[in-house]
Amino acid sequence: MSIVRVPTPLRPYTQGQKEIEVPSATVGEALRQLSERFPALEPHLFNEQGQLRPYVSVFVNDEDMHSHQGEATLIQDKDRVMIIPSIAGGNGSEALRAVDHAALRTNQAFIISLLLLAFVGDLAWIVAGVGGVMLAGSILGRPGFVPAYLLLRRLRVVRPDLINDHPQPHRFAQTLGGVFLAVGALLLYAGSPFLGWVLSWVVIALAALNLFGGFCVGCALYYWLSRLGVPGFHQSPPPGSFPGRRPATGG
Amino acid sequence: MTIRLTPDLLEAIEGHAESAYPEEGAGLLLGEVHGEHRRVTELLPLPNRYAPESRNRRYQIDARDMLAAEDQAEARGLDILGVFHSHPDHPARPSDFDLEWALPWYSYLITSVLQGHARETLAWKLRDQRDRFEPQEIRIRAASTENLS
Repeated sequence: MSIVRVPTPLRPYTQGQKEIEVPSATVGEALRQLSERFPALEPHLFNEQGQLRPYVSVFVNDEDMHSHQGEATLIQDKDRVMIIPSIAGGNGSEALRAVDHAALRTNQAFIISLLLLAFVGDLAWIVAGVGGVMLAGSILGRPGFVPAYLLLRRLRVVRPDLINDHPQPHRFAQTLGGVFLAVGALLLYAGSPFLGWVLSWVVIALAALNLFGGFCVGCALYYWLSRLGVPGFHQSPPPGSFPGRRPATGG
Repeated sequence: MTIRLTPDLLEAIEGHAESAYPEEGAGLLLGEVHGEHRRVTELLPLPNRYAPESRNRRYQIDARDMLAAEDQAEARGLDILGVFHSHPDHPARPSDFDLEWALPWYSYLITSVLQGHARETLAWKLRDQRDRFEPQEIRIRAASTENLS
């Protein structure tokens, strides 16, 4: 007989036992006997196909079974046998990256508020300023009002909301909004208030749709251009999400 | 079930994640179990043994490092409560790969590092059914206030 030492995370499934006596056999047989005695342990040692889970290693007298015959490694009487997990993990996708949607929403809230203020006060310079901040943000690859977001986060007014997504469509949407406002501001200064404010209201409406409805029109446009094979537009929507819709969080 | 950390330990976890960037960093959480609560008292950063070309999205703590860590924890009268690791430029949520490799009972702390800066650390625990992780509450308390609750 040999004693098998069970690691802490598996002890809840062996009625708390740290060491269990098993008949001398091969490593694979010993693990299967343990699973028969403690059925709740089995799914954590073996997958649905009956194969050992990737993290299970068994050490016999400080020698890893993987350096010997794997599951066929023999256990002799009085051998010191230990189940030792190896640990692994990592992020899921190379193509998707973490996009902080709380930063995007804060950006949209600032854009809407400032443009409404500009309209009510007939202040063309605010339209120009918001457009400039958005375009500068696009050049730097971040939401234009990200400094305000970072301050609000520091004050714990907002919390990060990281979602696997593509940052490029959001950058494109912001650039589009910035261009609309830059042209709108020029029209306002050039004496065409109607067209200037129409462009500003288009930006307000699209930012509000994104903020309150979770739909990014600029992102949808990006994905449609990508589908048409337009150069510079390479990404497809994250798996399972409609173009422009906020991706599911998962996890 | 909650996992308790001091501000210094959380800072050390996030600092480790930032220093490993753009690769994933990992290590073990050592501490004590008090009924439904776990209190982390020490960190044991360990080398990422995954193939170098994939360390930006994978980590591995091999069994021999775990064996040494278990001996070390036992000698200090502590338990291995779980694992901390980073997700460079990805959310602090477990991936399908994390699920495949997850052990039950352990607490998994994941730190999201965006462009070199730790943004968020969340704790997760595998469900007994192994179908998904469920969130675990992290309580940050200074060591001197630990015994007050």
